[in-house]
Amino acid sequence: MTPRRGLLRELSANRIMFLMLLPVVVFFIINAYIPMVGIYYAFTKFDFNRSLFNSEFVGMENFKFLWNSGILAKLTVNTLGYNAAFILFGNVLAIFCAILLSEIRLKWFKKLTQSIMFLPYFISFVILSVVVYNLFNYDSGFLNTMLKAFHMNPVDVYNTPWVWVPLIIIFYLWKNLGYSMVIYLAAITGISEEYYEASKIDGANIFHRVWYITVPMLKNTFVVLLLFALGSIMKGQFDLFYQLIGNNGVLYNVTDILDTYVYRSLKVTFDIGLATSAGLYQSLFGFILVMTVNTIIRKINDEYALF
Amino acid sequence: MRNKAKWLGTVMAGVMLSSALAGCSGSGNTKTEGAGNAGKSGNAPATDAAAETTKGLDTSKKVELQFYMLGDAPKDLAVIQEEVNKLAEADLNATVKFNYTSWTDWDQKYKLLLSSGQPIDLIFTADWTQYQAYAKSGAFLPLDELLPAAAPELQKYVPTDMWDAVKINDKIYTVPATYKEYVNNGFVYREDLREKYNLPVPKDIATFEAYLDGIKANEPEMQPLSINSDVKTNLMDVFREISDDTVGGPLPYGVGIKYGKPGEVYSYWGSDEQKKDLETIKRWAGKGFFPKNVLNVKDTLQAPVISGKTAAMLGDNPSRYNDTLIKMQASHPDWKLGYTSFAETRGFATPVHPIHNGFAVPRSSKNPERALAFYEKMVTDKRYNQLTQYGIEGKNYEVADGYYKMIGDSTSNGFAREGMNGWAWRNPEFMLFDKGYDGVKAIFDELDKIAKPDIFTGFAEDYSAYQSERAALEQVEKQYFYPLYAGLIDNIDEGVETAMSKAKQAGLEKVQAAYKEQWEAYVAEKGIK
Repeated sequence: MTPRRGLLRELSANRIMFLMLLPVVVFFIINAYIPMVGIYYAFTKFDFNRSLFNSEFVGMENFKFLWNSGILAKLTVNTLGYNAAFILFGNVLAIFCAILLSEIRLKWFKKLTQSIMFLPYFISFVILSVVVYNLFNYDSGFLNTMLKAFHMNPVDVYNTPWVWVPLIIIFYLWKNLGYSMVIYLAAITGISEEYYEASKIDGANIFHRVWYITVPMLKNTFVVLLLFALGSIMKGQFDLFYQLIGNNGVLYNVTDILDTYVYRSLKVTFDIGLATSAGLYQSLFGFILVMTVNTIIRKINDEYALF
Repeated sequence: MRNKAKWLGTVMAGVMLSSALAGCSGSGNTKTEGAGNAGKSGNAPATDAAAETTKGLDTSKKVELQFYMLGDAPKDLAVIQEEVNKLAEADLNATVKFNYTSWTDWDQKYKLLLSSGQPIDLIFTADWTQYQAYAKSGAFLPLDELLPAAAPELQKYVPTDMWDAVKINDKIYTVPATYKEYVNNGFVYREDLREKYNLPVPKDIATFEAYLDGIKANEPEMQPLSINSDVKTNLMDVFREISDDTVGGPLPYGVGIKYGKPGEVYSYWGSDEQKKDLETIKRWAGKGFFPKNVLNVKDTLQAPVISGKTAAMLGDNPSRYNDTLIKMQASHPDWKLGYTSFAETRGFATPVHPIHNGFAVPRSSKNPERALAFYEKMVTDKRYNQLTQYGIEGKNYEVADGYYKMIGDSTSNGFAREGMNGWAWRNPEFMLFDKGYDGVKAIFDELDKIAKPDIFTGFAEDYSAYQSERAALEQVEKQYFYPLYAGLIDNIDEGVETAMSKAKQAGLEKVQAAYKEQWEAYVAEKGIK
């Protein structure tokens, strides 16, 4: 009974606070929880003439197109692998650049660098795909024109699947680095100057200060960002893959992720049931992943866990 | 105090996480939101309609009709809408709102419009928007009983055989367009270059290849053939049309049916016929007729021809060819573009099937009778028709020597000819043509002489029994057949074998057998031999 009484007391003691929270809760109930009823679509054969709950219940039938293709495992591995790489490299690189930038004292240079790094974030993947095509296409791409000028053999990037693993990661980082860096930069600014001053007096050099003060102080931000990112780890960067790879089936083995696969399959067969089943699979997988990682983090250090 | 803060923090974190999770379930759910209403609101008007047919058209209540068309709205749409509404308010006590989807992702939007339950009174239908499948799945209202009461004139105006041709499961679900046109493909090539280098006129695959060889040899900077990443639609399907006598198309899942033998269904995938076709395409790729990375090319086929970057297209329909020609000559008056209809080689052409352009009343319509009555006006009333096809006379266009003439140019004029994409409500009696269209008319006149019926489009495939296999096959085609279509695989036998084994794993045999069964039933029912 104690926790319940505790909750009631909490409610009455912080009435105003909870009142302020109310709109947010209502927002999420309406926008995130009520639509979850739609999950039921995954188990029905939707009929235009009948409503959702009157449509025929077909059990796991809709999930069959995911298993039947026999490539679900590959898709899952690709999706997870790319996202893991995005999260890991993205964060490490962002922290690294944020620290470098925060140590720069020349103000205009710092601002300029930051802006330049931020700019790619505003470039759409459609434009990126055109840029990439002009860099790498076999007949007249920048790369091959260069190679030919140096009398070397041209390479056929668009028919060489393995190259795309690093390429996709690089383009993702190029686009998103500036954005995630800002978050870390803000966290660094929040670290009290006193720590640094004290350490300077104790004779710490710049590497000591970064390693023993900045990095540990960023750990919390890192963990929170990591957990948030994990929630969407089953969601690929659809536009990135869709734009860069498009119809090029040669590259699918290493570049196909769940989102692109589902999009392609359902573009011809529009069926709410099939689409929902794919979405549900992604969500469920993501949910399990977040729960697992959060449990692990809680085991290691309770303070850092999300819940 | 510290504890309290932490507790609140946990709540906040929880809420934020749920938002992250909601994000994940998004793709599945957001699309389907509200679709639950589709069915509920769907049944009601159908029964109302049946009840009201006896009473005739009731216009006592003022209504606003929702009209949906694909593509981009013309700039002056608001002006036209106002004019139309003046007429419609007087005639039918109704106003109309013209809505456009834009061409970006129109197919997704179209699907959502029909499944979200949003009230729509009139929507465009065509074979390429899957009219047959939607009609079969109950997305539209049957019009048989509505027509006599709500639009008797329209019912009389459209010939009976056209009404019969659009029937799905013996019910009419769309109002077909009556204008006769041809969308059969033909070779499109730079005629001035052909003359200059004395190359053969493309008539079939062999002469077309000889033409491209000549271009490659004489214009090394030019790309002979215009192709983009959709190698199935733009290369394979067209190739089969000229080379393999296909019944129509595109035929799905590697099914093969010949116009000459419509009763026979075979698997094109894996056949010697396919291997032969692929050999030719591989040879073309080897000769450098199109870029090696064609699977990543996103241009339209026409743009590089207009700008002079490429010399030819394997196939395009007469109207689009004419359009390309006009655009090309606008900037390069000395260039010429030739056209050889496939019909010259195949010996026949098929006028578009009535399903090709039409308007249907979706289930979600709140005023089906008024919608049809309004559509009747659009088709049969000259005032409505010309207003929505050509704009306002004297402001948007003028009629000179019986020809349509735009006032100003396409940038200054807010309503181009057929600016509302009004293909479906064209009325041959009221149609005005641009002088430049005479070329197309000449082609159509030629094709009229050798016209044979389209026996393919009336077929409505019902894929509900194998839709998961269908989705899986789409993947197989993209991953294993597209590289073959693009001429990227050196060993064709091996490539086809791999693709076939993957396709069989995905359920090819089941899908093809089911398609065959349905097709044979259709052929038997319609008495096609």
